[in-house]
Amino acid sequence: MDHVAQILDVSLTLSGTRVLDQVTLSLAPGRVHALVGPGGSGKTLVLKLLATLLAPNDGEVRLFGDPVPHDAPDELRAVRSRIGVQFQNLALFDFLSVAENVAFPLAQDRSPPPPDVLSQRVAAALDSVRLAGQGDQPVQALSGGMQRRVAVARAAIGQPDLLLFDDPSGGLDPVTTSRIFQLIGEHQRRTGCTVVVASHDVDRLALLCTDFHVVHGGSVIFSGSLADGRACPDPRVKVFLDVRNDAT
Amino acid sequence: MSETMQPELAAPGNPPRAGFLADVGRAILAACAVVGGMSVLQVRILRSTFARGAFDYDETVRQLFKVGVRSVGVVVATATFVGALMVISSGNFVKGTGATSIVGWAAGTAIFSEVGPVLIGLMFSGRVGANNTAELGTMVVTNQVDALRVLGIDPIAYLVVPRFLAMIVMLVLLTCIGDIFALAGGAVACSALLGIDMRVYWQGVLESRLVDEFVMGLVKAFFFGGGIAIVSCHWGLGVTGGARGVGRAVNHSVVTAAIAIFVVNFFVTVLWTW
Repeated sequence: MDHVAQILDVSLTLSGTRVLDQVTLSLAPGRVHALVGPGGSGKTLVLKLLATLLAPNDGEVRLFGDPVPHDAPDELRAVRSRIGVQFQNLALFDFLSVAENVAFPLAQDRSPPPPDVLSQRVAAALDSVRLAGQGDQPVQALSGGMQRRVAVARAAIGQPDLLLFDDPSGGLDPVTTSRIFQLIGEHQRRTGCTVVVASHDVDRLALLCTDFHVVHGGSVIFSGSLADGRACPDPRVKVFLDVRNDAT
Repeated sequence: MSETMQPELAAPGNPPRAGFLADVGRAILAACAVVGGMSVLQVRILRSTFARGAFDYDETVRQLFKVGVRSVGVVVATATFVGALMVISSGNFVKGTGATSIVGWAAGTAIFSEVGPVLIGLMFSGRVGANNTAELGTMVVTNQVDALRVLGIDPIAYLVVPRFLAMIVMLVLLTCIGDIFALAGGAVACSALLGIDMRVYWQGVLESRLVDEFVMGLVKAFFFGGGIAIVSCHWGLGVTGGARGVGRAVNHSVVTAAIAIFVVNFFVTVLWTW
């Protein structure tokens, strides 16, 4: 399989507005991909296409080598079981505790692991995000940074082949942001999964990601390495990937 | 000239007929969309309810507690005062004619068949239905429903079916409890405010053989519970536009549920007494 995911010439119209226009994107397996671009450019929508939460009006989305089976619920469920998502606003279930949130993807599986195995895996997942011993807390009792780490643990506990992070550092202080990116990197190196991170934080993405994709006005206008992006003559690409140079 | 300019050209108080008809048409289409959406939701709920292992047991138990146990207080308070009011409102006639023996029958009939299920249904809709719409709506705008979907979990099976079952079961039980407290409230009012011996009141209730009315009330509660669940889940899952959207959905949900209760009440009564 050359690509874990491919978005081929996809257009999407929501409420009469064309929000994605002929997007083409290929994700090589085992790499960490950055999705950057201005707010409202369509990064979250691209992630939702990859998460199978949106079906395109035109074009095709292929995951793990096959088109997304939107009309076949059982096949779609199988595809979704290979994807982990951390949403921009986290989407933690506020009626569940921290441990129940992390356990949720496994507990709701059609063949869930035995309770003792489940507990061990949840404890290991919480430990990996430095939240050991916090499992019984309600999620609202945690700080924003801790909630983001819970969301990372929940997205990753099923050991998905494709992990999607939508603005994992949104609203966090620099120290916590570094911790979150570090956790994502550690997980990727441990499991070898394909990761996509949508963020504005190019400096930190530069430390984590191997491939960069710039989204602008509902289209992907650049895909390649950070160095190629910084050398790109298109000012819309440079303005995002050259942030470090501007700042320093 | 663009179409958006046209309404400003019409004389005040004399809107163009096409505009009025268009508004009526839009309103009818919107109503059809709501009814159609609720019908589709009902079919999906029933399909998930009877699919083997499709709905979540733990979530169902959690909902039974939340919508039922926590509603007992408000139902008891409402029913007690309504029962007392039923007796008080018939008091003048009863005392005037001296027909004190009918006070138990009158209160029992009204409480069992109409006032009990309808008022408890409305209270339930205001407390549980509105809360349910707000909760589901918040889950939609915070992507929790999307999170379920991406985990391969059907939100209908996981979120809606437990609420649907809990609301039906608990509204029937709450109506039973409410009937008892309404009769008790009537008995107290009968004795304390009308000066009629409580034994006369209870004798009237028991000798009237109101089993038919009692069962009809429970059948109504069954349909009210299902109706409130469908209405509140429909509006909750359809939320768009953040916090303002949630507020709008709650408003629509309460109004639609109240209308649904009165419509269902009418049809059950007509069919039951046919």
